[in-house]
Amino acid sequence: MSLKEIFEKNPDRRYIMFGGKGGLGKTTFSAATAYWLAKRGYKVLVFSVDPQASLSDIFEKDIFGKGPVEIMPNLFAQEIDADQRIREYQDEIRQKILDMYGLDQVPEEIENYIQAAAAEPAMEESAIFDEVVDIVVSGEYDYYIYDLVPLGHALYYLSMASVYDQWIDKITGLREEMAEYDQVAAVMRREKETEEDKILKELQYIKHRINASSSILTDKVKTAFYFVLIPEEMIILDTQKAAGLFAKYDVPLSGYIVNRVIPPELAADNIPDYLRNRMEMQKKYLHKIEQTFGSEVLTNVPEFERDITGLPMIERVANALFEGQR
Amino acid sequence: MSFPPFITRLGRGVKSTFRTLAEIIYGATIHEMVRDLRKERAHLEHLFILIVFGDILGIPILPPYYTLHLLPYIAPNITGWKRSLLRERDLTDLCDQEIG
Amino acid sequence: MNAVVTLLIGLVAIAVGYGVYAKSINKNVMNPDEKKATPAKMYMDGVDFTPANRNVLFGYQFKSIAALGPITGPIVAVQWGWLPALLWIIFGTFFIGWVQDFSTIMMGVREEGQSLGALSYRFVSPRARTILLTFIYFYLLLIMGAFGKIVGYDLMTNPAVPLGVLLVIGVGLLAGQMTYKWKMDIILTSAITVILAFVGIWLGTLPGVKNLFLAINGGETSPVVFGSVTQAQFIWSLVTLVICYFGAILPIWRWAQPINYVAFWIVFLGIAAGTVGLLVWRPSIPADFPAFTNWNGNLCAASDCSGLEKTPLALGALWPLLFVTIACGAISGWHSLVSSSGTARQLESEADALYVGGGAMFLEMFLAVLSLLTAVVGVGATTGFAGYVGMIAAGKNAGVFAVGLSEMMSRIGVPTSFGLPYGSVFLTLMALTIMYLVVRFMRVASAEFMGDKVPLFKNATFGSIVALLLSAVLIYTGFWARIWVLFGGANQLMAALTLLLITLWLMSKGKSYMWTLIPFVFMYITTIGALLLTAYNTIHQVMTTPGLAIDLVVGNWLAGLIAIYLVISALILGWDSLQAFQRQRAASVEAKAKV
Repeated sequence: MSLKEIFEKNPDRRYIMFGGKGGLGKTTFSAATAYWLAKRGYKVLVFSVDPQASLSDIFEKDIFGKGPVEIMPNLFAQEIDADQRIREYQDEIRQKILDMYGLDQVPEEIENYIQAAAAEPAMEESAIFDEVVDIVVSGEYDYYIYDLVPLGHALYYLSMASVYDQWIDKITGLREEMAEYDQVAAVMRREKETEEDKILKELQYIKHRINASSSILTDKVKTAFYFVLIPEEMIILDTQKAAGLFAKYDVPLSGYIVNRVIPPELAADNIPDYLRNRMEMQKKYLHKIEQTFGSEVLTNVPEFERDITGLPMIERVANALFEGQR
Repeated sequence: MSFPPFITRLGRGVKSTFRTLAEIIYGATIHEMVRDLRKERAHLEHLFILIVFGDILGIPILPPYYTLHLLPYIAPNITGWKRSLLRERDLTDLCDQEIG
Repeated sequence: MNAVVTLLIGLVAIAVGYGVYAKSINKNVMNPDEKKATPAKMYMDGVDFTPANRNVLFGYQFKSIAALGPITGPIVAVQWGWLPALLWIIFGTFFIGWVQDFSTIMMGVREEGQSLGALSYRFVSPRARTILLTFIYFYLLLIMGAFGKIVGYDLMTNPAVPLGVLLVIGVGLLAGQMTYKWKMDIILTSAITVILAFVGIWLGTLPGVKNLFLAINGGETSPVVFGSVTQAQFIWSLVTLVICYFGAILPIWRWAQPINYVAFWIVFLGIAAGTVGLLVWRPSIPADFPAFTNWNGNLCAASDCSGLEKTPLALGALWPLLFVTIACGAISGWHSLVSSSGTARQLESEADALYVGGGAMFLEMFLAVLSLLTAVVGVGATTGFAGYVGMIAAGKNAGVFAVGLSEMMSRIGVPTSFGLPYGSVFLTLMALTIMYLVVRFMRVASAEFMGDKVPLFKNATFGSIVALLLSAVLIYTGFWARIWVLFGGANQLMAALTLLLITLWLMSKGKSYMWTLIPFVFMYITTIGALLLTAYNTIHQVMTTPGLAIDLVVGNWLAGLIAIYLVISALILGWDSLQAFQRQRAASVEAKAKV
């Protein structure tokens, strides 16, 4: 089955992700897919949560930290500035504390905590994933295409989601026990209503958010995950391993896309040995890819003669990706 | 219908006497029970803070983004929590109950 | 003199004591500042520090300080005659009792709600804190001995009482289930359980039930099991300890608190009915009831003892013993613990301290006067002085109160056949509600003292059993009157320590302190005298009485040694306090020189 057919047959798969090691062309394919869908009349948002992402480069437009920017009709692109996002969030928390308790200044101890928490390495990921939930649940777009953070981080987050889930359940149990004490005290004091535990509500909210972000990654109906690989031995092995892990976390794999295939029509007589050897090598590995991943290999995308930047080049990649054009 | 002023004043006096008596009886009976329930609850609250904000295990269990989300609700308890954890206690702290 | 006049004297003492003396001290020395944030507000943590309304705190303070102490003490002290007891109750409260309770609250409030242990460490010496802790432990143990004997030897051996007690405990457990688990309305719960409790007490008085319990006791004259302990005393003391075991082991809401709650109403209604009965009755103090017996509190010198099976033990010299025999009701060191770590941390405003601390103490004084009257007129007006002597001789100290109260209640139509067991159940519950808290404290205390060396003490069951075994030794041995005096002694030493602490604190703040220093000196000397006398009496008795039952030998030695320990630690404390005084003096001289 070709990529195009998969898109046509599964209109529900509206969350599209390209994964794979860095530098294999994930961002390129994200942009090309967004372009192709936009051209077909769908409203698309392509966004990057990778601080090293290069959507700005590919679209030749600085969009970093500017929210969704319209690139062409129906095509929007967004690069999340995690640091800025965290700073805003810290301010939001500070403001909430000031409002809740009518303070002029956040107490020092609390302020220290806010700063220390922002410095945690896990802060960035959790902030990004939370942002993703915001973007996706807004439902403004027909398709969401995201350029993932490097694989390891996504997997870590996924693996933690179920731990968080159980943990929040336990903590919720603790809060409920506390609410029980409140209720008995209210009975004794003949008070009609007990004050609702706001933390209990917030815990439910957090649980919902974490589940939402992990389910976006693991939803079999709505999510399509494509692995990008190139015909090289190490990459094939890595991809195999990663695919195994993804399967373990229930990420629905929709297929593999091979990038950087040297166009066979180059195989004229008068090419340098260097190129010929490379083509021989690629042929061997393409064969191996076919053996390993079989019919799940959706398409081969050729190596282009120049950088993929600007809409015309993106269009060429899109055509190669979806229409099989060389 | 209106009563002569001295009757309303008397009524108010009787009412407030009853209120005072009810409050005293409450203090002699339920107050301590409610106080213990609240203490028990406060201990759980401290446990909660310790788990969520303790950072004692090195890795915060909840993603830090969400710990911050809970912070505003915990804020007033954090100083009290620290003091309560750090305060030295001896037997004389426990003797606030009836004996003798 | 009429009993109502006695009550009126009490009221006048309250009016002058509270309305004039206490108010002027409050205004001129303490200067409470209504606007100043109290520790309850400043450090509100939901655990120790939480502000509460002044009336609520008054109720809390009163129920915490008033228990079996103000009821039993005066009855025992009547052995010197009713006048010395009455005077000590009134003047003790007037000059010392409220002073201590009120000042401890103020000191706690001004010193950030620090506990008494921490304050003794700071103001007296590090070992003062340790000594205070040992006073507390002995005090707790002596409560177990004194109250345990009241319940197990006296009240429960009356066959009309045990079923009522057990049923009220059952009803208390039901009350706990109804509030904590079924979350039923508290007024409905109270109504149902209090009615059930009264039905339970009444069931206990039925002839069939009485005969059953009489059979358990082994007949009217219960046979001796060992030493001089009878079968009834043995069984009911054991039952008491078992009840305490549950109270110490089960969660506080499951056992101790709901039973206390039901018991509160039984006690409250009993005291209210007794007071009203007394006002309706208005008896005169009987002519044959001596205002003063003799300096030695020797009843047989004041009344004919020839018809009695056992002769009552002469208490000993009026000074110092009267002043430890009545502790609660005049002045009690325990109050200071409640005041500092309980009330001071909940006080909403400094201006409430006098009402809560002083007011509750004056009300307790009133309770002590009422209790005195149960003996003097309740028993005295019906069976005469000889009736009182007979009951004391039979070891029925608390029984005097039950008889007196039932006489008072009979004037408003409560038959004595119900009123008497009711009074006994009432006292038993009062004792029990305290005893299981005591075991809980002893458990915590032993875990704190021993837990690091012997980890087993950290185990709640083990800690409780050790506490109960120690209590059992005290209950089954020795003379109750001696234990009672020791109990008062440990209590009054705490009072002396607290008064000392307050004096040092006042000195450090540059306030006038004679009004606490003189009471301290009086309490200190009196208590040491009382303890030395008790040590001498107990040990002397063992040495000079041939063929004393083994339980009494053990008990007397135990009492004597505890008394000696208390004296020695009190002397160390005196030495430390002298130095603390000098330090404080020097500091104030220095401060003045600077100015």
